[in-house]
Amino acid sequence: MLRLLIPFVVLLLAVVGAVVMDRPRPRADFVFINRGDVTTLDLQRMSWQQDLRVARMIFEGLVRTDIFTAEFEARPGVAERWETSADGLVWTFYFRPDAKWTNGELVKPSDFVFSWRRGLLPDLASDYFSFFALIKGGRGFFEWRNGQLEEYAARASGARSQAAADGLWDEAVARFEEMVGVVADDEARTLRVTLGHRCPYFLDVMGFACLYPVYPPLVRQYERPDPMTGRLIAEHGWTKPPYLVSNGAFMVTRWRFKRDLWLEQNPHYWDRASLSLRTIMMPTIDDPNAQVLAFQTGAVDYLTEATPAYRGDLLAEKLAFYEEHREEYEALKAQGLDQFEIDRRLPNDPRAHIHAVPSFGTYFYNFNCRDVLPDGRDNPFKDRRVRRAFAMVIDKASIVEDVRRLTEPVARSLVPRGSIGGYTPPTGIACVSDFAEGSPERAAWIGEALGLLAEAGYPDPARFPTVELLFNKDSGHDLVATSIARDWERYLGVSVVLAMREIKVVKADLQNHNYMTARAGWYADYGDPTTFLDLNRTGDGNNDRDYSNPVYDGLLDRAAAEADAAARLGLLAEAERIVVEEDFPLVPLFHYVTLMMFDAHRVGGISPHPRNEDNVYEVDVLTDGLGSNVARVLPVTPAARAPEPTAAGAGATP
Amino acid sequence: MIAMIVRRLLLMPVILVVIFTTTLTLAWAIPGNPLQRGEGRRPQPEVAQAMLAQYNLDNYWTFYWSYLDSVTGLKHVRQTLNGTRARRAETARQEGQAAAERYVFDMGPSLHYVDRRVNEVVGSALPVSITLGALAMLIALVTGVAAGVVGAVRPNGVADVSTLMVALIGISMPSFVVGTGLLVVFSVWLKALPVARWGTPQDMILPAVTLSLPFAAYIARLTRMGMIEQLGTDYIRTARAKGASEVSIRLRHALKNAFLPVLSYLGPATAYAMTGSFVVERVFNVPGMGQHFVSGVQNKDLFLIMGVVLVYATMLILFNLVVDVMYRWVDPRIEQ
Repeated sequence: MLRLLIPFVVLLLAVVGAVVMDRPRPRADFVFINRGDVTTLDLQRMSWQQDLRVARMIFEGLVRTDIFTAEFEARPGVAERWETSADGLVWTFYFRPDAKWTNGELVKPSDFVFSWRRGLLPDLASDYFSFFALIKGGRGFFEWRNGQLEEYAARASGARSQAAADGLWDEAVARFEEMVGVVADDEARTLRVTLGHRCPYFLDVMGFACLYPVYPPLVRQYERPDPMTGRLIAEHGWTKPPYLVSNGAFMVTRWRFKRDLWLEQNPHYWDRASLSLRTIMMPTIDDPNAQVLAFQTGAVDYLTEATPAYRGDLLAEKLAFYEEHREEYEALKAQGLDQFEIDRRLPNDPRAHIHAVPSFGTYFYNFNCRDVLPDGRDNPFKDRRVRRAFAMVIDKASIVEDVRRLTEPVARSLVPRGSIGGYTPPTGIACVSDFAEGSPERAAWIGEALGLLAEAGYPDPARFPTVELLFNKDSGHDLVATSIARDWERYLGVSVVLAMREIKVVKADLQNHNYMTARAGWYADYGDPTTFLDLNRTGDGNNDRDYSNPVYDGLLDRAAAEADAAARLGLLAEAERIVVEEDFPLVPLFHYVTLMMFDAHRVGGISPHPRNEDNVYEVDVLTDGLGSNVARVLPVTPAARAPEPTAAGAGATP
Repeated sequence: MIAMIVRRLLLMPVILVVIFTTTLTLAWAIPGNPLQRGEGRRPQPEVAQAMLAQYNLDNYWTFYWSYLDSVTGLKHVRQTLNGTRARRAETARQEGQAAAERYVFDMGPSLHYVDRRVNEVVGSALPVSITLGALAMLIALVTGVAAGVVGAVRPNGVADVSTLMVALIGISMPSFVVGTGLLVVFSVWLKALPVARWGTPQDMILPAVTLSLPFAAYIARLTRMGMIEQLGTDYIRTARAKGASEVSIRLRHALKNAFLPVLSYLGPATAYAMTGSFVVERVFNVPGMGQHFVSGVQNKDLFLIMGVVLVYATMLILFNLVVDVMYRWVDPRIEQ
């Protein structure tokens, strides 16, 4: 009979063993949930928001962006000062004497050259190649290297060896120095960057984490040319502690896959005095409900994106809380305080811990602009009158109020209003929900849309080809798609089929232009309208619509050459106007809102700026006696979410 | 017995290759480019093509053979024998480079978590899954067997009906309902246990209990049926006749035989509890293997899918083997 106990004993030993092996650490000063586990800490290969967020905490670039200024100003980082030539093409950065890596070594100008070379190599496939290509000769070097690799791959196998690959690499390094406009002087501690063309947002890009430096002596150890292809093969063993060397405010002390990432202050960080957290922990919690529960039980201080299915209800409770304190709330709002500061001055209430913050992104629908679909069918959306008619009858108000319920503002332009200093996006056109239900104006508006279809050769909408609408199910895209399909069927009388696909398929179909209409969205990378407008440039890698208009491209080119900042933004606004008022390769539906959770009475250092970026190393727990314990605020709330001017009737004819 | 073990172990590679081929064929058919991300800018087309080639993702058979080559350890053995490994290590040392991480059974890089190799992913997730599964099976065995024995004392009595009811609920309630319910009661209302953490024994209680429920219920029913059947047999009547105590009859004589069906259920059940607990892992945020099944497919992370499937298949085969060995050990009649 005793034998029967054996499985019990074995299981018990396994459990006891596991518990003994795994000792928990005490709670960190600040615990926050990122969007998911970090996929990579190799700066030049980054693309996901969660990676960039951690990168900003552990690495530092030439400049840091101050998220508590309306214009997202650049503040000294590794460079203590910089100057630019009169034509704006040559930038010289002067390195601070105390910028150090976590191992105590000085951060050298040549470290940046090494890192940026990685960004310009086709071997490593940086998603943000276009940022590195701002540097003079960058694109040329990329193309040269591609040609060199092609030539190598075409050689007979006898002519390919480790020595040959090494020679190829040495040649590439020499070529980089010749071609690319970046010169480091480690003695004088200066870095001189020459741009290919004038770039008013260059400093903004320098604050972007992909352009921060990696530690060359470490990274070099993990990179070698492959004898078969000649390409540089990059291993990633160096991105994990204890090997990782970084130069930011914090350093990674432990990174357990899909469990947690622990950060401590970098003992060699030059601005250590400004930090008010000693340790930060980032648990990986993937389930949205578990994330909210972890926040509500106090295990987590900050949830960067709350996405449970009931998020609309959480937000409704917050609005109810504001309603209870209506007078106080209105008074504080009238003072121009930022939304977190308003919460801080109202009584503390758990319902107020959710925050709807404007995001630097737009949700839109794509129209395929090709003449013929990949399967050979004629594409009705090649005609801009058709695209306009379909854009006119989308009930945008219903999408944000009834479907999304996240207080997202209706969009008529691609660039969110007020997100970029000095730039006024075009007014755009109205949509059916701007006219009262049953009003003659609405009837006239719909009649105008039908008239456009008739002009385009579809007098009888019932004979319009069946419209295919491509989307993926996640995040409620299915609900938006259903709502739009209903509008098109109801107002235009066309028939619509919903093509719901898995995200990877949607992405592939978009890239191959294998769709008629499709759901899409875009989050900006830097503070300039081109971050949105390049999407519609002829031949751009992200031009899923295959839209091409020489006038539009010409305006972008002229803007790139324009020296006067205001005139340049004017040209860009005109370009955007063509897209959202005339040609409609896409129709903007709403600007994103991010729902975050934290107790504003306890946590400071998070900014509600519409560019929606946080620097977690700047966070201050206001009740812990460490740091200043005074929350920074945005000076004046940007007019980002001021109601858009009504566009009813504007630009009524194409 | 030894012959049986040897035969089964020899069969194992054949089964694994069949599983590998089937899974790879299915995974290959998932539409979409594995290197395409859900967000961010796209790499240049020529770069995207070169990246596919670098991972052998541009051709099914190249991938098939290269993966098989490295996962079976053949590549490692070959490179060790022909001295490539030693030469590489020497060059790396001379040039001040880190020796590349190389595993004997190399399951390749993760395509989504580019800083990780699949061996690392499995290496960090498997111990967690084993702990959770073992704890859950322990709870299931103790409660399930106890409930079955108690229920069989008086079939259709109050105790029997109530344990059967609980068992029925345990089997039919999906674990995301049970899990969320337990979380709300014990963590949110009573604040007695932590949410979404893993490491200390307290963290393990709720997920283990949730995971154990369906197994406990099944074990309870198996034990009860076995007990009722055994209690009606001749040898029990003989034991009663010679004056053995009722406790001794039930626990020493009847349970021993009634436990056999539970034992044969234990093999696949343990393997399942240790790797197939995706829902429980998600609700309680347990960093185990189950999540990688799902995220691997979602991200079309071919290396991860193959690695996880092969590890699971190996575990399943081994657990069944262990159970068969124990079975013969507990019940010598099977040997003939």
